[in-house]
Amino acid sequence: MKRIALCALAVLGLVSLFAGIWWLNGRSGGGRYGTSFFVSAGIFVFVFAAISLRWMHETSAALLGAVSVWLFHYVAGTFFPTFQILDFEESMRFVDWNVIFLILGMMIFMAMFSETGIFNWLAFRAFRLARGNAWLLGMALILLTGIVSAFLNDVTAILLLVPLSIEIAETVGIHPLAYVIPEVLASNIGGAATIIGDPPSTIVGSHLGLSFVDYMVNMVFISAICLVVLLVLTTGLYWRAFSTARQRTSPALVAQLEADARITDNRLLKKTALVGLATIVLFFVGDQFGMPPSVIALVGAAVLITWVRPDMHRMLREVDWTTLVFFIGIFVIVGALEATGVIGWIADAIAHLAGDNLTTATVLMVWIPGAASGIVANIPFTVAALPIADFLTASINGAGNLVLYWALVLGADLGGNATYLGSAPNIVAIGLLAQAGYRVSFGRFMRDGVPVTIVTLALATLWLLLHY
Amino acid sequence: MKKILCATRGGEASIRTQDAVIAMAKKEGATIVFLYVVDVEFLRLTARGVRPDVVATELERMGEFLLAMAVERAAAQGVEADMIVRRGPLTQALEEVGQQLGADAVAFGRPAGVDSSFSLSDLEKLAARIEEDTGIETYIL
Repeated sequence: MKRIALCALAVLGLVSLFAGIWWLNGRSGGGRYGTSFFVSAGIFVFVFAAISLRWMHETSAALLGAVSVWLFHYVAGTFFPTFQILDFEESMRFVDWNVIFLILGMMIFMAMFSETGIFNWLAFRAFRLARGNAWLLGMALILLTGIVSAFLNDVTAILLLVPLSIEIAETVGIHPLAYVIPEVLASNIGGAATIIGDPPSTIVGSHLGLSFVDYMVNMVFISAICLVVLLVLTTGLYWRAFSTARQRTSPALVAQLEADARITDNRLLKKTALVGLATIVLFFVGDQFGMPPSVIALVGAAVLITWVRPDMHRMLREVDWTTLVFFIGIFVIVGALEATGVIGWIADAIAHLAGDNLTTATVLMVWIPGAASGIVANIPFTVAALPIADFLTASINGAGNLVLYWALVLGADLGGNATYLGSAPNIVAIGLLAQAGYRVSFGRFMRDGVPVTIVTLALATLWLLLHY
Repeated sequence: MKKILCATRGGEASIRTQDAVIAMAKKEGATIVFLYVVDVEFLRLTARGVRPDVVATELERMGEFLLAMAVERAAAQGVEADMIVRRGPLTQALEEVGQQLGADAVAFGRPAGVDSSFSLSDLEKLAARIEEDTGIETYIL
């Protein structure tokens, strides 16, 4: 009942808001924006709210939004031409297929990798090398997560690494939060380092038509710096826990931990690692042949499938189609915003705020997405912010070096660390901790997430202003 | 010999529950079966890159490890204990395992503050439902 009331209030609020803007628009005498402007904006705000407030599944919301754009265009638009937003053919032009196929290719890799037990094996090697030193072990796990997240899907990296990290924490006698929360923060930071690391990175990199190397050259340094800063902050936040940790399990349990961290399929690992390595090399040299990252990822995935010969029905089930449909839906909805002038209107407002000053625009492009990403879904936010970055880059002197796009990537990726709703890896890690008997409140996550977010965003801003 | 079924996880609250059920078993000369239930419902909160089967397998391993710690804890206090890991909803797993083992009692830990998965009233309802469905006695420790 409470939920229905809240939804009704939200809908009423949105209707009032748009009616108000519509009325003001008419009163100003300009009549600059048509019905389609408000309809597309309304659809976007509804989808955005539905995703951010968890009214419905992300993919359902995105699909509903895309379908609404077409329904308004075809049905209402037939009777009232002002309702015409975007037809099907036009909307497909707004879908970035490079993003879709890049994610598809990497999903196939991740599905294969996840069956080898490699991540758990690596985590256990870190445990052995640290020889019971809880701090050293924590640093190793954080670095491992950051590096894995730069090259593979961050959510899957967290899903595979966190359960073993919890076992390791229990073994060395430290609260699992001291390892798991910094690991999650590292996955979001590491994801900014490469074009395949995190959805905002993929979306922006693909939009700019960048190769793997072009993207990495610009982002790897600041990501590495942020990762080092995370190690320092984690040491400060958890020093007491690290220094008082004492091993509390028997040799039998350590043996069980080792058994849990065994490579499960050596042959599959060899094949996956070999093809994975070749694909990464191809990512580095693919630019010479003008190959977009999506084609490289699909080449690697196709070779792997041909060599490993998995059950294709099972393989296709393991591809996360909901994510792909989610991306297509979001691209269509944001395409509608572009086509009807909503993006231009927002970009105008931001350009006015920035006042043709590149420094102000850069700061705004880091901190607005940074602040928003902790609260709202960062994927639709990034897709919607891209045309704004296009507009500002074209209109502000000196922005041709793409600084505003890098600002957007860093804001969206690093900002997701502030709260546990900020990114998918955070949500998954909190669920895994709860399964281990450790419930993490919103405030408890923020205790670590907010300082790390503020410091890394400040560093990112400083680096962008000095470097570009 | 009496058999007590105890659903548990990790963390301080679970350790308190494990200690309480170990003390109860010692007093009554009973054995304990620790149960860990894998529930991947939380994955519904995100649409991205998630394979529930892989997650469930990882959680099963983690559950076995957490239960092995509980079994060692009981052994250290001279109480015989065993462990079972199951997938699915908690209530269904408790009822099924309780009936299969012929458990005499099901023990739950009392909710410890706002961080608990259950409120006391929810836990009391769950306990009452299990008693009604299976006839097994329940205790909130």
